Amino acid sequence: MELLRTTHLSKIYNGHASHRALSDITLSIEKGEFVGIMGPSGSGKTTLLQLIATIDKPTSGEVLIDGQNPYQLDTDALARFRRQHLGFIFQDYNLLNTLTILENIVLPLTLEGEKVSVMESKACTIAERLGITSILNKRPYEVSGGQAQRTAIARAIIHEPKLLLADEPTGNLDSKSSQDVMEKLATINQVDRTTVLLVTHDAIAASYCHRVLFIKDGELYNEIYYGNSRQAFFQKIIDVLSLLGGNTHDLSTIRF
Amino acid sequence: MTFQQFAFNNVMRNKSLYIAYFLSIAFAVMVFFIYGVFAFHPGLAAREIGDVAQIGLLVAQMLIYIFSFFFVLFSMSTFIKSRSREFGLMVMLGITNRQLRWLIFIENMVIGFGATVAGVTSGLVLVKLLLLTAESLIGMNGELSFYMPYRALGLTFAAFILLFLCISLFTVLFFRGLRPIDLIKGSSRPKPEPRASIWLSIISLILIGSGYSVSLTAEGLEVVYALPPVTAAVVVGTYLLFTQISVYTIRLLKHNRKLMWRRTNLLFFADLAYRMKDNANTFFLVTVLSTVAFSAIGALVGFKTILTESIERPFAFEYVSHVGNSPERTEIVIKAIERSLRAEKIKFTKMYAEFQSYKQAGDGKPVMILKESEYNALAAVEKGTTLQLGVSEAAVIQPKNVLAGREPPKEQQLIVDGHGKPMQIIQVADLSIPGYDKYYVMDDGSFAELPEPLSTDYYYVFKVDDLASTEAIGQQLYSEIGQSGNDRFFPLAFEIKKLLQSYNAVMFVGLFIGVIFFISSGSFLYLRLYMDISEDKAKYNSIMKLGLTKSELSKIVTRQMAVLFFLPIIIALIHGTVALIALQRMFYFTLFRESVIVLSAFAIIQVVYFIIIRSSYLRQLLLEKDE
Repeated sequence: MELLRTTHLSKIYNGHASHRALSDITLSIEKGEFVGIMGPSGSGKTTLLQLIATIDKPTSGEVLIDGQNPYQLDTDALARFRRQHLGFIFQDYNLLNTLTILENIVLPLTLEGEKVSVMESKACTIAERLGITSILNKRPYEVSGGQAQRTAIARAIIHEPKLLLADEPTGNLDSKSSQDVMEKLATINQVDRTTVLLVTHDAIAASYCHRVLFIKDGELYNEIYYGNSRQAFFQKIIDVLSLLGGNTHDLSTIRF
Repeated sequence: MTFQQFAFNNVMRNKSLYIAYFLSIAFAVMVFFIYGVFAFHPGLAAREIGDVAQIGLLVAQMLIYIFSFFFVLFSMSTFIKSRSREFGLMVMLGITNRQLRWLIFIENMVIGFGATVAGVTSGLVLVKLLLLTAESLIGMNGELSFYMPYRALGLTFAAFILLFLCISLFTVLFFRGLRPIDLIKGSSRPKPEPRASIWLSIISLILIGSGYSVSLTAEGLEVVYALPPVTAAVVVGTYLLFTQISVYTIRLLKHNRKLMWRRTNLLFFADLAYRMKDNANTFFLVTVLSTVAFSAIGALVGFKTILTESIERPFAFEYVSHVGNSPERTEIVIKAIERSLRAEKIKFTKMYAEFQSYKQAGDGKPVMILKESEYNALAAVEKGTTLQLGVSEAAVIQPKNVLAGREPPKEQQLIVDGHGKPMQIIQVADLSIPGYDKYYVMDDGSFAELPEPLSTDYYYVFKVDDLASTEAIGQQLYSEIGQSGNDRFFPLAFEIKKLLQSYNAVMFVGLFIGVIFFISSGSFLYLRLYMDISEDKAKYNSIMKLGLTKSELSKIVTRQMAVLFFLPIIIALIHGTVALIALQRMFYFTLFRESVIVLSAFAIIQVVYFIIIRSSYLRQLLLEKDE
């Protein structure tokens, strides 16, 4: 079943010099898929994610999430759509320092007006799964980057979204924490059948996906599928990336 | 580029960074300056506003200065804290501690000087405008005209240059021994959760509570003695209220998940604790300033009522001829009054009464006695209470002496020397005669039995239906007749006009000071908000990505701003109410109506202020979102 479909999606930024960030992107993601998007800096991958995340409006084209076009909603309904159907993970975690870890996790549910007992039990289960039970009463600035990102994952999935969007989730993390975070994402994808869309620079992170899309200069460039082993998939990703060109420092160092 | 040039350019080329800081200081200067212009106004100095009022003005000016000092100090330290990253960079590049301090010093002096000039200039313009409005509104015919306020100018410049020197030095000292790592982390380091102590919270409650109970129970002159300690206790209590109780309460609320985890409450309360702690100083200043404003204006309006009520009389013209006044003069005066009234075709009723003077048996105090029938005739014209005295009864008539206390001592008996018969004092009525503290009324029978009086005063009154029509005649007669020392002419309409006129100037200055205090407190709040806006923008932006609707955002912001705007004002209103109650206990005079008017006027202004600032703040906050 198709969960996400974009048709002829384009985005032009108007400014002193107009700049076409994305042109004519058509893609489709099945329910339960784990898809990565890769590309050199400035290729438009974050723009694509923002358009799908309904944070930014496309110049032309259409986004359908579970058959619904979110851009037909007014701003408040759109905000509600985001917090009910989408989950977000950001590179810089985007946790609120004024809230404890627990409060950060339940934030989407409180906005929906969920019962306190339900929130507590859900938060408890999810914290257990992500291994952050011991830090629930701490504040975001008191925990490590990996813990913060796992908190962000907990917040992103507590309301059981249809689509989980991750923007460079490992960008600020060391290799051990990155591996940890990616394994958690993969587990969530497998166990809950949550669809995940991941934007990343990190070939290792991308190797957890079922499929990786490459974009270059705002256009779809290539697409590769997971074969039998992560090792082989990783190698394929590296090959495409080097074909794509861009600067070598855009590629993360190999961490085997 | 010399170092001085670098420091100067750093300010000049970074205007947007400095603008909020600059404006807030310029505002403080302006308030001080405008106040000075009024305090030193030659029109005021010439009037008999009295030494007390002069001292009051001086004390208020001192207060403004002290508050400006703290205000500038707070603004400066927030401003420097927000720039610690920049300073950290300079330290990394090898600026010495000495140079950095010199830089901050020069910067502050440049900004301070600029703000002083800006504040004084805008103050001059505003004063001119204010005086023009005052003239056309209150009809003060050139009593408070515009003048070149050299004294206020000099004082403002001297005071603020000194202030900036002190504060810059102070800040520079505060900067000693910082390591670059601290400076670089500075603003990005997350703030720890605000903490509060239960003991300090309790002390705060005790201080405010005892201050209140003393001011609510003190009477008469006790109020004056109680004022300094009560003020100190309440001020300290208020400070602790904002730094401790508020934070402590929010912490307690946080444990209640049913409340905390309801919709936007989580975001609202989490932020509130930080905001309370961050803004505690501002809140404190605002509360004290507003309380001063409320009390001052309430008291002024109250005084005006007291004054007008104390001369409120039923008769348009009164003339009292004491012993030593020639009957010829009395006749001339009465004829003149009658002639003027007739010339203006004003209908009048003339009444006459004789006051006989005796000595009281025992202590020999002089007493004035009036016949019952004459008193009743006067009272009937006034439509007041007439007396029904029995034999051996007397009534004592005492005017409300608002400044000495409403309740006069209770008298039991009147024994007139040479008469000997004790008269029971039964009633206290109210028909005051100018020049007499009190007088007695006896029934006609007993009055006839009295021996020959020591002297007799003749009292003439003219009752007129339309009091206002006698104002011009009164003024003319007043200058014609004058005072001889043995008589007294009292044209009511003219006297009221004189009183109100002299009071208008004082009233205007008082109201003006109150409004200035009030506006400054509102502006402090606005500037506080403005300093945090970029941080707020980033924060709300990231929450909106997660799916916070605009209406929810506006709800959170509105509630937070409502707390910021109304909490200090509500505390100030309570303080102000208590102060006014204490004041009315001092004068034995009810100021309830005046207090309600003044306090609700402030409440309304604050609501309007809130509505305007809320929408402008929300617009700023959502600016990027709407593009």
